[in-house]
Amino acid sequence: MTKEAHELNLPADIKYAKAHEWARVDGEIVIVGLDDYAQDQLGDIVFVEMPEVGETFDKDSVFANVESVKAVSECYSPVSGEIVEINERLEDEPELVNNDCYGDGWFVKIKATNLAEMDSLMDHEKCRASVKGE
Amino acid sequence: MSTAKKKTPLFDWHQEHGGNMVEFGDYIMPLWYASGTKKEHLSVITDAGLFDTSHMAAVLVDGPGAYELIQFCFTRDLDACIGKDNKPIKPGRCVYGAFLSEQGHAIDDGIVYQVNDTDYIIVVNAGMGGVIAAHLNSNLGGRQAEITDLTDQLGKIDIQGPAAVKTMQAVLKNPEQVFKKLLYFSFKGHFDDRAPTAEQVQLLDGTPFLLSRSGYTGEVGFEIFTQRKHAVNVWETIVAAGQPFGLVACGLASRDSLRTGAVLPLSHQDIGNWTYANHPWPFALPFDVSGSRFTKSFLGAEVLQAAGPDERTLTYVGHDLRKVDAHGARVIDADGTDIGTVLTCATDMAIGRHEGKIYSLASADKPEGVKIKGLCCGFIKVNKGLAPGDVVTLQDQKRKLKVSIETNVRPARTARKPLRTFLK
Repeated sequence: MTKEAHELNLPADIKYAKAHEWARVDGEIVIVGLDDYAQDQLGDIVFVEMPEVGETFDKDSVFANVESVKAVSECYSPVSGEIVEINERLEDEPELVNNDCYGDGWFVKIKATNLAEMDSLMDHEKCRASVKGE
Repeated sequence: MSTAKKKTPLFDWHQEHGGNMVEFGDYIMPLWYASGTKKEHLSVITDAGLFDTSHMAAVLVDGPGAYELIQFCFTRDLDACIGKDNKPIKPGRCVYGAFLSEQGHAIDDGIVYQVNDTDYIIVVNAGMGGVIAAHLNSNLGGRQAEITDLTDQLGKIDIQGPAAVKTMQAVLKNPEQVFKKLLYFSFKGHFDDRAPTAEQVQLLDGTPFLLSRSGYTGEVGFEIFTQRKHAVNVWETIVAAGQPFGLVACGLASRDSLRTGAVLPLSHQDIGNWTYANHPWPFALPFDVSGSRFTKSFLGAEVLQAAGPDERTLTYVGHDLRKVDAHGARVIDADGTDIGTVLTCATDMAIGRHEGKIYSLASADKPEGVKIKGLCCGFIKVNKGLAPGDVVTLQDQKRKLKVSIETNVRPARTARKPLRTFLK
Protein backbone atom coordinates (compact mmCIF):
# COMPACT_ATOMS: atom_id res chain seq x y z
CA MET A 1 0.00 0.00 0.00
CA THR A 2 1.07 3.54 -0.43
CA LYS A 3 1.61 5.28 2.88
CA GLU A 4 -1.19 6.89 4.88
CA ALA A 5 -0.70 10.52 5.88
CA HIS A 6 0.35 9.58 9.43
CA GLU A 7 2.96 7.16 8.09
CA LEU A 8 4.83 9.76 6.04
CA ASN A 9 8.28 10.83 7.14
CA LEU A 10 8.10 14.64 6.98
CA PRO A 11 11.01 16.15 8.94
CA ALA A 12 10.27 19.35 10.85
CA ASP A 13 13.46 21.17 9.84
CA ILE A 14 12.59 21.56 6.14
CA LYS A 15 9.88 23.21 4.05
CA TYR A 16 7.54 21.62 1.50
CA ALA A 17 6.14 22.81 -1.84
CA LYS A 18 2.68 21.93 -3.15
CA ALA A 19 3.99 19.35 -5.61
CA HIS A 20 5.97 17.70 -2.78
CA GLU A 21 9.42 19.04 -3.39
CA TRP A 22 11.27 19.75 -0.14
CA ALA A 23 13.67 22.64 0.49
CA ARG A 24 16.32 23.06 3.17
CA VAL A 25 18.17 26.36 3.65
CA ASP A 26 21.92 26.24 4.14
CA GLY A 27 23.25 29.80 4.18
CA GLU A 28 22.17 31.32 0.84
CA ILE A 29 21.93 27.87 -0.75
CA VAL A 30 18.67 25.91 -0.85
CA ILE A 31 18.93 22.12 -1.13
CA VAL A 32 15.98 20.57 -2.97
CA GLY A 33 14.59 17.05 -3.29
CA LEU A 34 11.35 15.07 -3.45
CA ASP A 35 9.53 14.35 -0.22
CA ASP A 36 8.43 11.00 1.17
CA TYR A 37 4.91 11.40 -0.19
CA ALA A 38 6.15 11.99 -3.75
CA GLN A 39 8.63 9.10 -3.78
CA ASP A 40 6.03 6.77 -2.27
CA GLN A 41 3.36 7.73 -4.78
CA LEU A 42 5.70 7.47 -7.76
CA GLY A 43 6.95 3.99 -6.95
CA ASP A 44 10.36 2.88 -8.21
CA ILE A 45 12.20 5.88 -9.59
CA VAL A 46 14.30 4.69 -12.50
CA PHE A 47 15.64 7.91 -14.02
CA VAL A 48 16.09 11.55 -13.06
CA GLU A 49 16.47 14.13 -15.82
CA MET A 50 18.56 16.85 -14.17
CA PRO A 51 19.17 20.49 -15.07
CA GLU A 52 22.69 21.75 -15.83
CA VAL A 53 24.76 23.59 -13.27
CA GLY A 54 24.45 27.33 -14.06
CA GLU A 55 20.85 27.15 -15.30
CA THR A 56 18.46 29.52 -13.60
CA PHE A 57 14.85 28.80 -12.69
CA ASP A 58 11.95 30.87 -11.46
CA LYS A 59 10.00 29.65 -8.47
CA ASP A 60 7.40 27.05 -9.55
CA SER A 61 9.05 26.37 -12.92
CA VAL A 62 10.05 22.87 -13.99
CA PHE A 63 13.70 22.14 -13.18
CA ALA A 64 13.77 18.31 -13.41
CA ASN A 65 11.79 15.31 -14.66
CA VAL A 66 11.48 12.14 -12.68
CA GLU A 67 10.77 8.87 -14.44
CA SER A 68 9.12 6.22 -12.33
CA VAL A 69 7.75 2.91 -13.47
CA LYS A 70 4.36 4.57 -13.48
CA ALA A 71 4.86 7.90 -15.17
CA VAL A 72 7.02 10.89 -15.91
CA SER A 73 6.62 13.62 -13.32
CA GLU A 74 7.81 17.18 -13.31
CA CYS A 75 9.63 18.75 -10.39
CA TYR A 76 8.98 22.42 -9.70
CA SER A 77 11.59 24.66 -8.21
CA PRO A 78 10.47 25.73 -4.71
CA VAL A 79 12.53 28.96 -4.98
CA SER A 80 14.01 31.13 -7.74
CA GLY A 81 17.73 30.94 -8.36
CA GLU A 82 20.70 29.35 -10.05
CA ILE A 83 21.64 25.66 -9.95
CA VAL A 84 25.05 25.48 -8.30
CA GLU A 85 25.29 21.72 -7.84
CA ILE A 86 23.40 18.60 -8.94
CA ASN A 87 23.43 15.21 -7.25
CA GLU A 88 25.42 13.24 -9.80
CA ARG A 89 24.92 9.99 -7.93
CA LEU A 90 21.30 9.94 -9.10
CA GLU A 91 22.48 9.24 -12.65
CA ASP A 92 23.55 5.74 -11.70
CA GLU A 93 21.51 5.28 -8.53
CA PRO A 94 18.06 6.85 -9.04
CA GLU A 95 16.77 4.46 -6.37
CA LEU A 96 18.42 6.76 -3.80
CA VAL A 97 15.33 8.96 -4.20
CA ASN A 98 13.19 6.09 -2.93
CA ASN A 99 15.62 4.87 -0.30
CA ASP A 100 16.82 8.16 1.24
CA CYS A 101 14.79 11.06 -0.11
CA TYR A 102 16.03 13.64 2.43
CA GLY A 103 19.65 12.43 2.47
CA ASP A 104 21.56 10.82 -0.42
CA GLY A 105 18.52 11.23 -2.67
CA TRP A 106 18.68 15.09 -2.83
CA PHE A 107 18.37 16.60 -6.32
CA VAL A 108 19.97 20.03 -6.61
CA LYS A 109 21.46 22.94 -4.71
CA ILE A 110 20.06 26.31 -5.74
CA LYS A 111 21.62 29.71 -5.00
CA ALA A 112 18.43 31.52 -4.14
CA THR A 113 17.80 35.03 -5.46
CA ASN A 114 15.19 35.73 -2.79
CA LEU A 115 15.24 33.63 0.34
CA ALA A 116 11.98 35.20 1.43
CA GLU A 117 10.29 32.84 -1.06
CA MET A 118 10.89 30.09 1.52
CA ASP A 119 8.13 31.67 3.61
CA SER A 120 5.52 30.72 1.02
CA LEU A 121 6.30 27.01 1.45
CA MET A 122 4.50 24.69 3.85
CA ASP A 123 5.89 23.43 7.13
CA HIS A 124 5.66 19.70 7.91
CA GLU A 125 2.30 20.01 9.67
CA LYS A 126 0.69 21.86 6.77
CA CYS A 127 2.21 19.39 4.36
CA ARG A 128 0.74 16.42 6.23
CA ALA A 129 -2.62 18.18 6.44
CA SER A 130 -2.55 18.78 2.67
CA VAL A 131 -2.02 15.05 2.08
CA LYS A 132 -5.07 14.36 4.24
CA GLY A 133 -6.99 16.81 2.07
CA GLU A 134 -7.48 19.27 4.95
CA MET B 1 -25.83 1.47 -9.03
CA SER B 2 -22.90 0.13 -7.06
CA THR B 3 -19.45 1.09 -8.17
CA ALA B 4 -17.78 -1.23 -5.65
CA LYS B 5 -14.71 -2.86 -7.12
CA LYS B 6 -14.27 -6.61 -7.05
CA LYS B 7 -11.64 -8.40 -5.02
CA THR B 8 -9.78 -11.52 -6.03
CA PRO B 9 -9.50 -14.34 -3.46
CA LEU B 10 -5.94 -13.09 -2.76
CA PHE B 11 -6.94 -9.51 -1.91
CA ASP B 12 -6.30 -9.91 1.83
CA TRP B 13 -2.92 -11.50 1.19
CA HIS B 14 -1.88 -8.59 -1.02
CA GLN B 15 -2.91 -6.06 1.60
CA GLU B 16 -1.12 -7.91 4.37
CA HIS B 17 2.04 -8.14 2.29
CA GLY B 18 2.50 -4.53 1.24
CA GLY B 19 0.66 -4.66 -2.08
CA ASN B 20 0.09 -1.18 -3.52
CA MET B 21 -3.57 -1.75 -4.40
CA VAL B 22 -5.11 0.12 -7.33
CA GLU B 23 -8.29 -0.02 -9.33
CA PHE B 24 -7.82 -1.98 -12.54
CA GLY B 25 -10.99 -2.35 -14.57
CA ASP B 26 -13.60 -3.81 -12.23
CA TYR B 27 -10.98 -5.10 -9.80
CA ILE B 28 -8.65 -3.92 -7.06
CA MET B 29 -5.26 -5.35 -7.89
CA PRO B 30 -1.68 -4.97 -6.63
CA LEU B 31 0.35 -2.62 -8.86
CA TRP B 32 3.54 -3.54 -7.00
CA TYR B 33 4.71 -4.66 -3.57
CA ALA B 34 7.16 -3.02 -1.18
CA SER B 35 10.19 -4.40 -3.03
CA GLY B 36 9.23 -2.32 -6.06
CA THR B 37 8.49 -2.91 -9.73
CA LYS B 38 12.10 -2.90 -10.86
CA LYS B 39 13.03 -5.78 -8.57
CA GLU B 40 9.84 -7.62 -9.52
CA HIS B 41 10.61 -7.27 -13.23
CA LEU B 42 14.25 -8.33 -12.83
CA SER B 43 13.34 -11.26 -10.56
CA VAL B 44 11.29 -12.84 -13.34
CA ILE B 45 14.34 -12.71 -15.63
CA THR B 46 16.83 -14.01 -13.05
CA ASP B 47 14.72 -16.02 -10.58
CA ALA B 48 10.92 -16.12 -10.52
CA GLY B 49 7.83 -14.03 -9.86
CA LEU B 50 4.31 -14.89 -8.71
CA PHE B 51 1.31 -13.00 -10.11
CA ASP B 52 -2.32 -12.98 -9.00
CA THR B 53 -4.26 -13.02 -12.28
CA SER B 54 -7.58 -14.14 -10.80
CA HIS B 55 -9.25 -11.13 -12.43
CA MET B 56 -8.97 -12.95 -15.75
CA ALA B 57 -11.99 -14.98 -16.84
CA ALA B 58 -12.56 -18.56 -17.96
CA VAL B 59 -15.44 -19.69 -20.15
CA LEU B 60 -16.36 -23.35 -20.63
CA VAL B 61 -17.61 -24.53 -24.01
CA ASP B 62 -18.91 -28.09 -23.88
CA GLY B 63 -20.84 -30.25 -26.32
CA PRO B 64 -20.70 -31.89 -29.73
CA GLY B 65 -20.80 -28.48 -31.44
CA ALA B 66 -18.08 -26.88 -29.29
CA TYR B 67 -15.27 -27.51 -31.77
CA GLU B 68 -17.12 -26.02 -34.72
CA LEU B 69 -18.29 -23.03 -32.68
CA ILE B 70 -14.72 -22.20 -31.63
CA GLN B 71 -13.51 -22.78 -35.19
CA PHE B 72 -15.99 -20.16 -36.34
CA CYS B 73 -15.27 -17.57 -33.62
CA PHE B 74 -11.54 -17.93 -32.92
CA THR B 75 -8.67 -16.77 -35.15
CA ARG B 76 -6.66 -19.99 -34.84
CA ASP B 77 -7.45 -23.05 -36.96
CA LEU B 78 -7.93 -25.87 -34.46
CA ASP B 79 -7.29 -28.30 -37.34
CA ALA B 80 -3.85 -26.80 -37.94
CA CYS B 81 -2.28 -25.02 -34.98
CA ILE B 82 0.19 -27.25 -33.13
CA GLY B 83 3.91 -27.17 -33.78
CA LYS B 84 5.86 -26.42 -36.94
CA ASP B 85 3.80 -28.91 -38.96
CA ASN B 86 0.52 -27.26 -38.02
CA LYS B 87 -1.05 -30.38 -36.55
CA PRO B 88 -4.60 -30.37 -35.14
CA ILE B 89 -5.18 -29.44 -31.51
CA LYS B 90 -5.45 -32.41 -29.15
CA PRO B 91 -6.39 -32.91 -25.50
CA GLY B 92 -3.80 -31.27 -23.24
CA ARG B 93 -2.82 -28.60 -25.75
CA CYS B 94 -3.80 -24.94 -25.83
CA VAL B 95 -3.49 -22.17 -28.41
CA TYR B 96 -3.42 -18.40 -28.33
CA GLY B 97 -5.61 -16.34 -30.66
CA ALA B 98 -8.32 -13.70 -30.81
CA PHE B 99 -12.08 -13.34 -31.07
CA LEU B 100 -13.15 -10.94 -33.80
CA SER B 101 -16.33 -9.13 -34.65
CA GLU B 102 -17.87 -9.42 -38.10
CA GLN B 103 -16.00 -6.20 -38.94
CA GLY B 104 -12.71 -7.96 -38.19
CA HIS B 105 -12.09 -5.97 -35.02
CA ALA B 106 -10.61 -7.67 -31.93
CA ILE B 107 -13.19 -8.20 -29.20
CA ASP B 108 -10.54 -9.84 -27.01
CA ASP B 109 -7.62 -12.22 -27.16
CA GLY B 110 -7.44 -15.48 -25.27
CA ILE B 111 -6.22 -19.03 -25.00
CA VAL B 112 -8.32 -22.05 -25.97
CA TYR B 113 -7.64 -25.25 -23.99
CA GLN B 114 -8.81 -28.58 -25.36
CA VAL B 115 -9.75 -30.81 -22.39
CA ASN B 116 -11.20 -33.42 -24.76
CA ASP B 117 -12.90 -33.45 -28.18
CA THR B 118 -16.06 -31.86 -26.83
CA ASP B 119 -14.86 -29.89 -23.77
CA TYR B 120 -12.94 -26.61 -24.02
CA ILE B 121 -11.82 -23.92 -21.62
CA ILE B 122 -11.36 -20.43 -23.03
CA VAL B 123 -9.34 -17.99 -20.94
CA VAL B 124 -9.89 -14.33 -21.71
CA ASN B 125 -9.13 -10.98 -20.11
CA ALA B 126 -10.57 -9.37 -16.99
CA GLY B 127 -14.20 -8.45 -17.40
CA MET B 128 -14.46 -10.27 -20.75
CA GLY B 129 -15.94 -13.60 -19.57
CA GLY B 130 -19.51 -12.40 -19.98
CA VAL B 131 -18.74 -10.61 -23.25
CA ILE B 132 -17.11 -13.63 -24.88
CA ALA B 133 -19.77 -16.02 -23.51
CA ALA B 134 -22.48 -13.81 -25.03
CA HIS B 135 -20.53 -13.53 -28.29
CA LEU B 136 -20.24 -17.33 -28.53
CA ASN B 137 -23.93 -17.77 -27.70
CA SER B 138 -24.99 -15.30 -30.36
CA ASN B 139 -22.95 -17.23 -32.94
CA LEU B 140 -24.15 -20.68 -31.91
CA GLY B 141 -26.31 -21.13 -35.02
CA GLY B 142 -27.55 -24.70 -34.93
CA ARG B 143 -24.49 -26.00 -33.10
CA GLN B 144 -24.93 -27.92 -29.86
CA ALA B 145 -22.73 -26.39 -27.19
CA GLU B 146 -23.20 -25.27 -23.62
CA ILE B 147 -21.40 -22.07 -22.71
CA THR B 148 -20.62 -21.36 -19.05
CA ASP B 149 -18.99 -18.14 -17.86
CA LEU B 150 -16.79 -18.92 -14.82
CA THR B 151 -15.94 -15.26 -14.08
CA ASP B 152 -14.88 -14.88 -10.40
CA GLN B 153 -15.27 -18.60 -9.72
CA LEU B 154 -11.62 -19.52 -10.12
CA GLY B 155 -8.31 -18.48 -8.67
CA LYS B 156 -5.61 -17.90 -11.29
CA ILE B 157 -1.95 -17.69 -10.32
CA ASP B 158 0.98 -17.27 -12.73
CA ILE B 159 4.48 -18.33 -11.73
CA GLN B 160 7.05 -17.07 -14.23
CA GLY B 161 10.83 -17.14 -14.51
CA PRO B 162 13.60 -19.76 -14.52
CA ALA B 163 13.12 -20.70 -10.84
CA ALA B 164 9.42 -21.39 -11.49
CA VAL B 165 10.28 -24.93 -12.49
CA LYS B 166 12.20 -25.81 -9.30
CA THR B 167 9.56 -24.10 -7.19
CA MET B 168 6.75 -26.12 -8.74
CA GLN B 169 8.86 -29.27 -8.47
CA ALA B 170 8.90 -28.66 -4.70
CA VAL B 171 5.13 -28.29 -4.32
CA LEU B 172 3.77 -30.90 -6.74
CA LYS B 173 2.78 -34.38 -5.69
CA ASN B 174 4.36 -36.05 -8.72
CA PRO B 175 6.55 -33.48 -10.47
CA GLU B 176 8.35 -35.93 -12.81
CA GLN B 177 5.05 -37.09 -14.28
CA VAL B 178 3.65 -33.57 -14.47
CA PHE B 179 6.71 -32.13 -16.24
CA LYS B 180 7.00 -35.07 -18.65
CA LYS B 181 6.26 -33.84 -22.18
CA LEU B 182 4.76 -30.65 -20.76
CA LEU B 183 5.65 -28.63 -23.85
CA TYR B 184 5.22 -24.88 -24.29
CA PHE B 185 1.46 -24.29 -24.59
CA SER B 186 0.33 -27.60 -23.13
CA PHE B 187 -1.40 -28.33 -19.84
CA LYS B 188 -2.34 -31.06 -17.39
CA GLY B 189 -4.83 -31.42 -14.54
CA HIS B 190 -8.11 -29.63 -13.92
CA PHE B 191 -9.55 -27.16 -11.43
CA ASP B 192 -12.76 -29.21 -11.25
CA ASP B 193 -12.08 -32.15 -8.92
CA ARG B 194 -14.82 -34.15 -10.67
CA ALA B 195 -12.93 -34.02 -13.98
CA PRO B 196 -11.14 -37.26 -14.91
CA THR B 197 -7.90 -35.32 -15.41
CA ALA B 198 -8.04 -33.67 -11.95
CA GLU B 199 -5.72 -36.33 -10.51
CA GLN B 200 -2.92 -35.38 -12.90
CA VAL B 201 -1.78 -32.29 -11.02
CA GLN B 202 -2.06 -31.81 -7.27
CA LEU B 203 -0.26 -30.03 -4.48
CA LEU B 204 1.37 -32.36 -1.93
CA ASP B 205 -1.78 -31.92 0.20
CA GLY B 206 -3.98 -33.14 -2.68
CA THR B 207 -5.36 -29.78 -3.86
CA PRO B 208 -6.08 -30.23 -7.59
CA PHE B 209 -5.42 -27.59 -10.20
CA LEU B 210 -4.89 -27.06 -13.89
CA LEU B 211 -1.26 -26.35 -14.74
CA SER B 212 -0.65 -24.68 -18.08
CA ARG B 213 2.85 -24.15 -19.42
CA SER B 214 2.26 -20.63 -20.64
CA GLY B 215 2.30 -17.08 -19.38
CA TYR B 216 2.48 -13.41 -20.21
CA THR B 217 6.12 -12.56 -19.55
CA GLY B 218 8.10 -14.35 -22.26
CA GLU B 219 9.85 -16.36 -19.56
CA VAL B 220 9.43 -20.02 -18.70
CA GLY B 221 6.60 -20.69 -16.28
CA PHE B 222 3.09 -21.77 -15.61
CA GLU B 223 -0.43 -20.48 -15.32
CA ILE B 224 -2.38 -22.20 -12.56
CA PHE B 225 -6.18 -22.43 -12.41
CA THR B 226 -7.82 -23.59 -9.21
CA GLN B 227 -11.14 -23.40 -7.42
CA ARG B 228 -11.52 -19.97 -5.84
CA LYS B 229 -11.55 -21.52 -2.34
CA HIS B 230 -8.12 -23.08 -2.92
CA ALA B 231 -6.40 -19.95 -4.26
CA VAL B 232 -4.88 -18.73 -0.97
CA ASN B 233 -3.56 -22.20 -0.09
CA VAL B 234 -1.98 -22.66 -3.52
CA TRP B 235 -0.50 -19.15 -3.47
CA GLU B 236 0.95 -19.44 0.05
CA THR B 237 2.34 -22.93 -0.61
CA ILE B 238 4.15 -21.66 -3.70
CA VAL B 239 5.40 -18.50 -1.96
CA ALA B 240 6.93 -20.62 0.83
CA ALA B 241 8.49 -23.15 -1.54
CA GLY B 242 9.88 -20.43 -3.79
CA GLN B 243 11.65 -18.48 -1.05
CA PRO B 244 15.00 -20.32 -1.37
CA PHE B 245 14.88 -19.78 -5.13
CA GLY B 246 14.33 -16.01 -4.97
CA LEU B 247 10.61 -16.04 -5.87
CA VAL B 248 8.91 -12.68 -5.28
CA ALA B 249 5.28 -11.61 -5.49
CA CYS B 250 4.79 -9.34 -8.50
CA GLY B 251 2.16 -6.73 -9.32
CA LEU B 252 0.52 -5.58 -12.53
CA ALA B 253 3.20 -2.98 -13.33
CA SER B 254 5.94 -5.57 -13.78
CA ARG B 255 3.50 -7.84 -15.61
CA ASP B 256 2.98 -5.02 -18.10
CA SER B 257 6.67 -4.22 -18.59
CA LEU B 258 7.58 -7.92 -18.90
CA ARG B 259 4.92 -8.62 -21.53
CA THR B 260 5.95 -5.56 -23.52
CA GLY B 261 9.55 -6.77 -23.55
CA ALA B 262 8.25 -10.13 -24.73
CA VAL B 263 6.39 -8.41 -27.63
CA LEU B 264 2.98 -9.55 -26.37
CA PRO B 265 -0.10 -7.35 -26.91
CA LEU B 266 -2.39 -6.02 -24.21
CA SER B 267 -5.99 -6.44 -25.30
CA HIS B 268 -7.94 -3.17 -25.63
CA GLN B 269 -4.67 -1.27 -25.85
CA ASP B 270 -2.51 -2.89 -28.55
CA ILE B 271 -5.35 -4.78 -30.21
CA GLY B 272 -8.94 -3.63 -30.05
CA ASN B 273 -11.72 -1.97 -31.89
CA TRP B 274 -9.89 -1.78 -35.21
CA THR B 275 -9.01 -4.25 -37.97
CA TYR B 276 -7.01 -7.15 -36.56
CA ALA B 277 -4.33 -7.17 -39.27
CA ASN B 278 -0.85 -5.81 -40.06
CA HIS B 279 0.41 -6.34 -36.52
CA PRO B 280 3.35 -8.13 -34.88
CA TRP B 281 1.19 -11.19 -34.08
CA PRO B 282 0.50 -12.89 -37.44
CA PHE B 283 0.93 -16.26 -35.69
CA ALA B 284 -2.48 -15.61 -34.10
CA LEU B 285 -4.09 -15.81 -37.55
CA PRO B 286 -4.62 -19.06 -39.51
CA PHE B 287 -2.30 -18.32 -42.43
CA ASP B 288 -1.44 -21.17 -44.79
CA VAL B 289 2.17 -21.78 -45.89
CA SER B 290 1.92 -18.96 -48.43
CA GLY B 291 1.39 -16.56 -45.55
CA SER B 292 -1.35 -14.73 -47.42
CA ARG B 293 -4.42 -17.00 -47.35
CA PHE B 294 -6.28 -18.46 -44.39
CA THR B 295 -6.72 -22.21 -43.89
CA LYS B 296 -10.29 -21.76 -42.64
CA SER B 297 -13.14 -19.30 -42.77
CA PHE B 298 -14.14 -17.61 -39.53
CA LEU B 299 -15.93 -14.58 -38.20
CA GLY B 300 -14.14 -11.44 -39.39
CA ALA B 301 -11.91 -13.26 -41.88
CA GLU B 302 -13.40 -11.65 -44.97
CA VAL B 303 -12.48 -8.18 -43.81
CA LEU B 304 -8.92 -9.26 -43.01
CA GLN B 305 -8.55 -10.99 -46.40
CA ALA B 306 -9.78 -7.91 -48.24
CA ALA B 307 -7.39 -5.13 -49.20
CA GLY B 308 -6.25 -4.68 -45.63
CA PRO B 309 -6.06 -1.47 -43.63
CA ASP B 310 -3.55 1.28 -44.26
CA GLU B 311 -2.66 1.28 -40.59
CA ARG B 312 -0.12 -1.11 -39.18
CA THR B 313 1.08 -1.89 -35.67
CA LEU B 314 4.83 -1.98 -35.14
CA THR B 315 7.21 -2.73 -32.27
CA TYR B 316 9.78 -0.15 -31.18
CA VAL B 317 12.61 0.12 -28.68
CA GLY B 318 14.09 3.36 -27.39
CA HIS B 319 17.68 4.28 -26.59
CA ASP B 320 17.32 4.81 -22.86
CA LEU B 321 14.63 4.06 -20.30
CA ARG B 322 12.65 7.29 -20.62
CA LYS B 323 9.00 6.86 -21.57
CA VAL B 324 6.24 8.96 -23.01
CA ASP B 325 2.71 8.94 -21.68
CA ALA B 326 1.07 6.62 -24.23
CA HIS B 327 -2.33 8.30 -23.78
CA GLY B 328 -2.48 10.80 -26.60
CA ALA B 329 1.19 10.56 -27.60
CA ARG B 330 1.90 10.93 -31.33
CA VAL B 331 4.38 9.28 -33.67
CA ILE B 332 6.39 11.64 -35.91
CA ASP B 333 8.45 10.28 -38.80
CA ALA B 334 11.86 11.50 -40.03
CA ASP B 335 10.18 14.07 -42.30
CA GLY B 336 8.31 15.58 -39.37
CA THR B 337 4.96 14.11 -40.42
CA ASP B 338 2.52 12.88 -37.80
CA ILE B 339 1.99 9.23 -38.79
CA GLY B 340 0.06 7.74 -35.90
CA THR B 341 -0.39 6.96 -32.23
CA VAL B 342 1.47 5.24 -29.40
CA LEU B 343 -0.37 2.17 -28.11
CA THR B 344 2.01 1.03 -25.36
CA CYS B 345 5.10 2.63 -23.85
CA ALA B 346 6.75 0.72 -21.01
CA THR B 347 10.29 0.20 -19.72
CA ASP B 348 11.88 -3.22 -19.84
CA MET B 349 14.38 -2.84 -16.99
CA ALA B 350 16.30 -5.98 -17.96
CA ILE B 351 17.68 -4.74 -21.29
CA GLY B 352 20.23 -2.26 -22.61
CA ARG B 353 21.81 -1.29 -25.92
CA HIS B 354 25.46 -1.77 -26.75
CA GLU B 355 26.63 -0.51 -30.14
CA GLY B 356 22.99 -0.48 -31.23
CA LYS B 357 22.30 -4.09 -30.36
CA ILE B 358 19.92 -4.99 -27.54
CA TYR B 359 21.16 -7.27 -24.76
CA SER B 360 19.31 -8.72 -21.79
CA LEU B 361 20.67 -9.42 -18.34
CA ALA B 362 20.13 -13.03 -19.38
CA SER B 363 22.01 -12.76 -22.72
CA ALA B 364 24.86 -15.28 -22.73
CA ASP B 365 26.63 -13.24 -25.44
CA LYS B 366 26.54 -9.84 -23.78
CA PRO B 367 29.84 -8.00 -24.08
CA GLU B 368 31.82 -7.31 -20.95
CA GLY B 369 31.06 -3.96 -19.39
CA VAL B 370 27.69 -3.51 -21.10
CA LYS B 371 25.44 -1.47 -18.83
CA ILE B 372 21.88 -2.75 -18.52
CA LYS B 373 19.78 0.18 -17.31
CA GLY B 374 16.50 -0.52 -19.08
CA LEU B 375 15.00 0.65 -22.37
CA CYS B 376 11.59 2.01 -23.20
CA CYS B 377 9.64 -0.17 -25.62
CA GLY B 378 6.17 -0.81 -26.89
CA PHE B 379 3.87 -0.59 -29.90
CA ILE B 380 2.79 2.15 -32.29
CA LYS B 381 -0.02 2.23 -34.84
CA VAL B 382 1.03 4.17 -37.94
CA ASN B 383 -0.27 4.86 -41.44
CA LYS B 384 2.94 4.10 -43.33
CA GLY B 385 5.36 1.21 -43.59
CA LEU B 386 8.60 1.36 -41.62
CA ALA B 387 11.52 -1.06 -41.60
CA PRO B 388 13.50 -2.35 -38.62
CA GLY B 389 16.07 0.27 -37.72
CA ASP B 390 13.95 3.20 -38.92
CA VAL B 391 13.83 5.97 -36.34
CA VAL B 392 10.64 7.77 -35.34
CA THR B 393 9.92 10.30 -32.62
CA LEU B 394 7.32 9.71 -29.94
CA GLN B 395 5.90 12.97 -28.69
CA ASP B 396 3.73 13.62 -25.65
CA GLN B 397 2.95 16.84 -23.76
CA LYS B 398 6.30 16.77 -22.01
CA ARG B 399 8.96 15.33 -24.26
CA LYS B 400 10.08 13.93 -27.59
CA LEU B 401 11.79 10.55 -27.64
CA LYS B 402 13.61 9.01 -30.58
CA VAL B 403 12.95 5.27 -30.84
CA SER B 404 13.84 2.61 -33.40
CA ILE B 405 11.52 0.16 -35.10
CA GLU B 406 12.48 -3.38 -34.07
CA THR B 407 11.15 -6.89 -34.59
CA ASN B 408 12.13 -8.08 -31.12
CA VAL B 409 12.59 -6.40 -27.74
CA ARG B 410 14.11 -8.53 -24.95
CA PRO B 411 16.46 -11.23 -26.26
CA ALA B 412 17.29 -14.52 -24.53
CA ARG B 413 13.76 -15.18 -23.34
CA THR B 414 13.26 -18.56 -21.71
CA ALA B 415 9.59 -19.42 -22.38
CA ARG B 416 10.31 -22.12 -24.97
CA LYS B 417 13.33 -23.77 -23.38
CA PRO B 418 12.90 -27.40 -22.25
CA LEU B 419 11.82 -27.66 -18.60
CA ARG B 420 14.73 -29.96 -17.76
CA THR B 421 17.22 -27.13 -18.41
CA PHE B 422 15.81 -25.37 -15.34
CA LEU B 423 16.12 -28.38 -13.01
CA LYS B 424 19.93 -28.67 -13.11
